[in-house]
Amino acid sequence: MGNFANKNLTDWHQLVESELKGGSSEDLIWDTPEEISIKPLYTAADLEGLEMSGQMPGFAPFSRGVRATMYANRPWTIRQYAGFATAQESNAFYKRNLAGGQKGLSVAFDLATHRGYDSDHPRVHGDVGKAGVAIDTVEDMKILFDGIPLNNVSVSMTMNGAVLPVLAAFIVAAEEQGCSKELLSGTIQNDILKEFMVRNTYIYPPAPSMRIVADIISYTAVEMPKFNSISISGYHMQEAGANLVQELAFTLANGKEYVSTAVNNGLDVDKFAPRLSFFFCVGMNFFMEVAKLRAARSLWARLMSDFHPKDPRSLMLRTHVQTSGVSITEQDPYNNVIRTAYEAMAAVLGGTQSLHTNALDEAVALPSDFSARIARNTQLILSEETGITKVVDPLGGSYYIESLTASMEQEALKLIKKIDEMGGMTEAVANGMPKLMIEETAARRQARIDRGEEVIVGVNRYKNNDDDMPELLSIDNTAVREAQIQRTETIRKNRNKKEWMSAVDALTRGAENKENLLALSIEAMRQRATVGEVSEALEKVFTRYSATTRSVSGIYGSAYKKDAEFNDIQNKIKSFLNEEGRRPRMLVVKLGQDGHDRGAKIIATAFADIGFDVDIGPLFQTPEEAAREAIENDVHVIGVSSLAAGHNTLVPELINMLQEFNANEILVVCGGVIPPNDYEFLKNAGVAAVFGPGTNIPSAATKVIELIRQRSKAA
Amino acid sequence: METQYSNEDDIYSLDIESLLSGNRRSLARSITLIESSRFDHRDLAENLLSRIMPRTGGAIRIGISGPPGVGKSTFIESFGLYLSNKNLKIAVLTIDPSSKRSGGSILGDKTRMPKLAQLENAFIRSSPAGLTLGGVARRTRETILLCESAGYDVVIVETVGVGQSEYAVADMVDMFVLLVQPGGGDDLQGIKRGVMELADLIIVTKSDGDLKHSAQRTAQDFRSALSFLRNESDDWVPKVIPCSALNSEGIEEAWKIMQLFHSKLNTSGGLARKRGSQASSWMWAEVQETLVGRLRESQSAKKLAQKLESDVINGLVAPGVAARHLLNAFLADD
Ligand code: B12
Ligand SMILES: Nc1nc2c(ncn2[C@@H]2O[C@H](COP(=O)(O)OP(=O)(O)OP(=O)(O)O)[C@@H](O)[C@H]2O)c(=O)[nH]1
Ligand SMILES: [Mg+2]
Repeated sequence: MGNFANKNLTDWHQLVESELKGGSSEDLIWDTPEEISIKPLYTAADLEGLEMSGQMPGFAPFSRGVRATMYANRPWTIRQYAGFATAQESNAFYKRNLAGGQKGLSVAFDLATHRGYDSDHPRVHGDVGKAGVAIDTVEDMKILFDGIPLNNVSVSMTMNGAVLPVLAAFIVAAEEQGCSKELLSGTIQNDILKEFMVRNTYIYPPAPSMRIVADIISYTAVEMPKFNSISISGYHMQEAGANLVQELAFTLANGKEYVSTAVNNGLDVDKFAPRLSFFFCVGMNFFMEVAKLRAARSLWARLMSDFHPKDPRSLMLRTHVQTSGVSITEQDPYNNVIRTAYEAMAAVLGGTQSLHTNALDEAVALPSDFSARIARNTQLILSEETGITKVVDPLGGSYYIESLTASMEQEALKLIKKIDEMGGMTEAVANGMPKLMIEETAARRQARIDRGEEVIVGVNRYKNNDDDMPELLSIDNTAVREAQIQRTETIRKNRNKKEWMSAVDALTRGAENKENLLALSIEAMRQRATVGEVSEALEKVFTRYSATTRSVSGIYGSAYKKDAEFNDIQNKIKSFLNEEGRRPRMLVVKLGQDGHDRGAKIIATAFADIGFDVDIGPLFQTPEEAAREAIENDVHVIGVSSLAAGHNTLVPELINMLQEFNANEILVVCGGVIPPNDYEFLKNAGVAAVFGPGTNIPSAATKVIELIRQRSKAA
Repeated sequence: METQYSNEDDIYSLDIESLLSGNRRSLARSITLIESSRFDHRDLAENLLSRIMPRTGGAIRIGISGPPGVGKSTFIESFGLYLSNKNLKIAVLTIDPSSKRSGGSILGDKTRMPKLAQLENAFIRSSPAGLTLGGVARRTRETILLCESAGYDVVIVETVGVGQSEYAVADMVDMFVLLVQPGGGDDLQGIKRGVMELADLIIVTKSDGDLKHSAQRTAQDFRSALSFLRNESDDWVPKVIPCSALNSEGIEEAWKIMQLFHSKLNTSGGLARKRGSQASSWMWAEVQETLVGRLRESQSAKKLAQKLESDVINGLVAPGVAARHLLNAFLADD
């Protein structure tokens, strides 16, 4: 047996210098987007002074996990987020998934429902059933859960804006199915602050929205003991571009804000805090994601201590995780299975309670049966074949992980303090600071990707020229919309007018006073009011919120200082300016209820940095409104950014409107999530170019300039 | 595919009838022409302006300024809706001189008026700021004329109150309205004395909810501050009112004050004098700019200028002497 001498850090540094032929370990430091410097080696020295020693899973502050046994006793819940088209179709999909080994349900609603519009509302006719399931009344909700025993299957619902009518419909549907509300288990997202920051399905202004959150927390605290009243979500922040420290800090700061709101409303913290749940994203930065989840738990426990709970469960951060959709690429789509598997593993090593894994085709469509099966199996294999479940917190004690956990906690706490100084998250959100910080981070990342500094296999490196995309799910929204309208019409006709009217009026009055709005919504939905009617009854008092758009500038361009190719495009724009008498001017629009604004904002800021004059349209425009804005500002081109599948309906309408206004020399280009099969259709409708996921922005800008020139030559 | 325009230059040989009849598209295209930096476009633009001149002058021209976030866009939206209900046509021109730039700009995000934007009676245009404030001012002035010729009754020019932009705007409108925040009345929010002197009306925004009281107090503070500023012999004594665009309170009063202002100055002849003097200073500004522009472009002057500039830098020639020398040479050449 060999006998090896003990070596220390000094020895290692020496060896490093010789391996690097004169360099030092400093050269190997990785500065992450979080501005955390990761060293090439961690040792026991890095753990000195950290409070980790002696910590046990199941005990506060829970960095090693919220339960003593974690997956050794029971694995995480496989909970796949899904919903599309009509309630019937989604119901059938859910049943197939449950049969295939999924454990809990997670409902994705369509954007009309999210924004509190019925399927027959004129502002939503491109959105019905497209990016989730359309729900107008209790009858739809009953169909959605037909044959699914709600006292057994836990249901998570991503609903924030129209949370009152939708949660109410769920409660009434369960009741009419024979399951009383005390028995319902699951989660309602009900996290409105992050809607104003990144998800964009708000309806009312912040103050009344916060009141709705509080009403739901108080109602469920008494009436629905097994139901999580809120899911405080960082997931959407990371998907919108936040780095991991921002995601962590803003999420916990939001959590703090909800707890204060409820406590200020007179609720005992132990009555609701154990029913708060969290939701994070896990992306490709493997170890940092593990550390983030561990840090989230211990930081939350510390923050909650300030509210002096007596029940230790009030200190506990339980979370759901979804792997990162942004890491999913259209190019070389089978790579996505691999990415998702790594992300799933990080989520599990981080100790999540439930998990959604993305499907390989999600950069261009909702999952098909095939891609959903692979996504589910990714978890089943991890859970049942790898043995990863057998040991609690297997990375605990790792020099790197423990040290990184501590750094994440420290950095996040700094940002939380900053928000406290601003007067809390409601203030910070109103002021727009978190949104702007996230957009800045997103712009920086886009520049790194476009410059090839951050590798994405199949997109900016190791490209595969014949990407074979499996067959995609496609939804006929006209059919869905017509079916919805018909069913809802029948319900409107057959309900008891008097009871219905008085329940809806009671809601408006309740909004003026201080009555619990969930209780009143349940009554209204029971009387067969629609999601749209309930939302409108409240809107009369609360008004509908329209956000002020703020945008970053200079961040994208500064990454390109002294870049020859970039200068080249800027010169093209200079000669354009000389020849045309003005810069190329583009209006970036979002049509319909699609609230994905990350791509639109990045395009706007990057094109402006390149030298375009860029108008940014507001969210939720109709084709007619967009056409008018384009005309009044006399832009050369409208760039539609479409992610929620409304393009085939809305873009041809936009082009028609331009023609009607006699403005057909205004070009229309399209970007975003456009399935390959739709390119032809859009081009035939008059779209000059389509720029899908993975688009390199400087090349897109060059192309747009060319198109404008061609158009003005042809004109 | 396009039938209307047969070649590049024809894009700008606009159908004047269509502009005068209030066609949205024609107005928008005319503004583009006015804003164009191309020389030949300038000729076309001047031709257009001469032809519409008889149809201009009919609007009430209002400038609105104030610090970022004070509530300009919200006020204009609410005000515009009110005017539209009275069957008035309203044009809103927004310029953002804060983005003096060498590159492109982001437009429209600070001037969002979603409801107004949908009305048949409204027209909203945001313009990128050029490199010089003078440039912005020239184009905006001419754009006001275009809007008038297209039949707009009220033309509002919105600008963020930074730099010297208030002066430029005040010099092209009939009435200059300054928006201020409630609170912080003590130091009058660090508003430059000069800017306050420009104001014909000060509106304290956000006079609702928790801020209502503070808005009223702020209005009082401004009233007393103003009483030291203006002399009573003027045609108009500036007014201060609180207003809530959110609850549409104070909107009607603002309009009444503007009408009063207009009729008072109309009868006194003050309005004609004001527009007259604006026009003449505009003419001189044009002379100055064009002269300098031509001089900078002239090849022969350029060489001389370079030499003189370096002489001035090196202290060989006095700047005044060099300037006169350059001008004389340029004028003789021309
Ligand atoms: C990020 C994201 C979100 C974030 C959005 C954050 C935000 N503020 O934008 C969050 C998590 C909030 C979110 C929510 C939802 N999402 Co989402 N989301 C995505 C995701 C993962 C990435 C999109 C993205 O931002 N990519 C990064 C940006 C930079 O890329 P990009 O937008 O594609 O833009 C690039 C190009 O397309 C092009 N481009 C785009 N626009 C333009 C315009 C012009 C003029 C030009 C030249 C170029 C151009 O250039 C850009 C640079 O390369 C996609 C899946 C995917 N991988 O694409 C799903 C996806 C778009 N989402 C989807 C859905 C269904 C939703 C929800 C509706 C779910 C629900 N039912 O509740 C919600 C509701 C959101 C809402 N309000 O509309 C579906 C849409 C399905 C469909 N189209 O059929 C997708 C495709 C995922 C999926 N398969 O399920 N989402
Ligand atoms: N309570 C209240 N808030 C208002 C009122 N008017 C504007 N606000 C709010 O003040 C903020 C700024 O309003 P804007 O109209 O965008 O202000 P602005 O002066 O145009 O801002 P910039 O264009 O960015 O300079 C928004 O959040 C508005 O909702 C009002 O009358 N009452
Ligand atoms: Mg504004």
